[in-house]
Amino acid sequence: MIKLLKCEFMKTRRRYVLLSALAVTAVMLCWIYPDNYKEDFLRMAWMGSLYELPLVNSIFMPLLSVIVASRLCDIEHKGNMLRQLAVSQERGRIYDAKLIYGLMIMTVCVLISWAMTIAFGYHADFGGAVPIKLYILYLLFTLTPTAAVYIFQHTASLCFRNQAVAFFSGVIGTFFGVCSMFLPQLSTLRSLFIWSCYGALDFVGLFGWSKENRYKFAHFEVMGIDWKAFAILVLICIALYIAGREFFKRKEL
Amino acid sequence: MLIKLLKAERMKLRRSPVWLAFIIMPIVPALLGTANYVYQRAILTKEWLSLWTQHTLFTDYFFLPIMLGIYCAYLARLEHAVGNLNKLFSLPVKRTSIFFAKLITAASMLLLSEIWICVLFVLSGYIAGLTSPPWLSIAQWCIFGTLGGMVIVALQLIISMNIKSFALPVAIAFAGGLSGLAGLAKNLGHIWIYSLLSYGMNANAPQELEKSGYPQFVIVCVVYIILFTSVGAVITAKKDV
Repeated sequence: MIKLLKCEFMKTRRRYVLLSALAVTAVMLCWIYPDNYKEDFLRMAWMGSLYELPLVNSIFMPLLSVIVASRLCDIEHKGNMLRQLAVSQERGRIYDAKLIYGLMIMTVCVLISWAMTIAFGYHADFGGAVPIKLYILYLLFTLTPTAAVYIFQHTASLCFRNQAVAFFSGVIGTFFGVCSMFLPQLSTLRSLFIWSCYGALDFVGLFGWSKENRYKFAHFEVMGIDWKAFAILVLICIALYIAGREFFKRKEL
Repeated sequence: MLIKLLKAERMKLRRSPVWLAFIIMPIVPALLGTANYVYQRAILTKEWLSLWTQHTLFTDYFFLPIMLGIYCAYLARLEHAVGNLNKLFSLPVKRTSIFFAKLITAASMLLLSEIWICVLFVLSGYIAGLTSPPWLSIAQWCIFGTLGGMVIVALQLIISMNIKSFALPVAIAFAGGLSGLAGLAKNLGHIWIYSLLSYGMNANAPQELEKSGYPQFVIVCVVYIILFTSVGAVITAKKDV
């Protein structure tokens, strides 16, 4: 497997896949952090960030997954290389190597955005101490849906030569995920749909916000953590992986 | 000649139902936006206008620019694959017409999705219990949205025809959609390329298109379309394959 991963690295060396993923992450970071926070928000900004970031993640992470997965798999489609690779390696291992490589890139991007959130909090002087346990939980709840979405995108990009299929399905899924963020009433639907899991696993609520006073009398609270939704998501991840791997193994190349 | 090229474009897309995505995508905000409108009726008091913002908010800021980016990238990919561009350029057709044909194909898909968004909007309004749709406003949003979207289509087509990667032009469209939102927030919606779609469609923008701004909006869009079409046509004509 190490050899296959090295091979992936060599193939993408001049394609700057990691660099383009980092560029999208940089755009995301520039977009989410304004140059000035209102003082009312600043006093509870550690919790405020935890409340706001899942929405941003639900837009950026699936789209980043679409781009990374497509760039990694398109190399093989373009050169008609899958057939040649399948002769020298077991198909399942090819699927795994590409998946691991892509997941590594996604993990780096998630970790950077997470670390930058904390660094920015210190820089912007967010009120109080950083709730590190909640931030670790947030990291887990960002990485897991991202992994699920990535596995789906990886399978779509690898199995369909026409990358428009992977892109359109990813964008429509992302769209559903973003729209569902505003419908907490549909909790079951949100936990069953991988793109909306960022919202289903959101554990911070905003109370007391009003149009007139904005954050003046508002506060953030930790709500119940939906471990059931997390367990369902992990099962979906495993199911997507097994189904995707089998589908690729049986596919006519 | 152009008609023949348009027919050829249609033939190339016949077995590849990418247009399905443009039909499916607006159904998502139609369902979820209407559900949100029904749940939040106490806050969303402007009836049809409130429902319109629920339908178009994220569509115009993020997803329609990306969809247009994907569509343009797909149209270009057909030519980038297995040296098709060489074959196409060796045919006895004007190279500029090739670009125009692709532009018209992408623009017609944009127009169809705008009409579909409006149809779904009116249906959702009736289902949500609203009466007397504002037909004139709907027609304006649809026409100006198409005009603003055509600017994005023209630019994305230039990018896609000149970058061989499929993902990169889409990533640019995504970043463009974000910059469009920033443009609206900074009151540059009337001139920034990627803001024109949501500005024209009046999608809950911080900067709204007033009646007095219609002529200026049309002029800006037409100038951009002419500029990008000319640049795209010239690049295609001079391109070394």
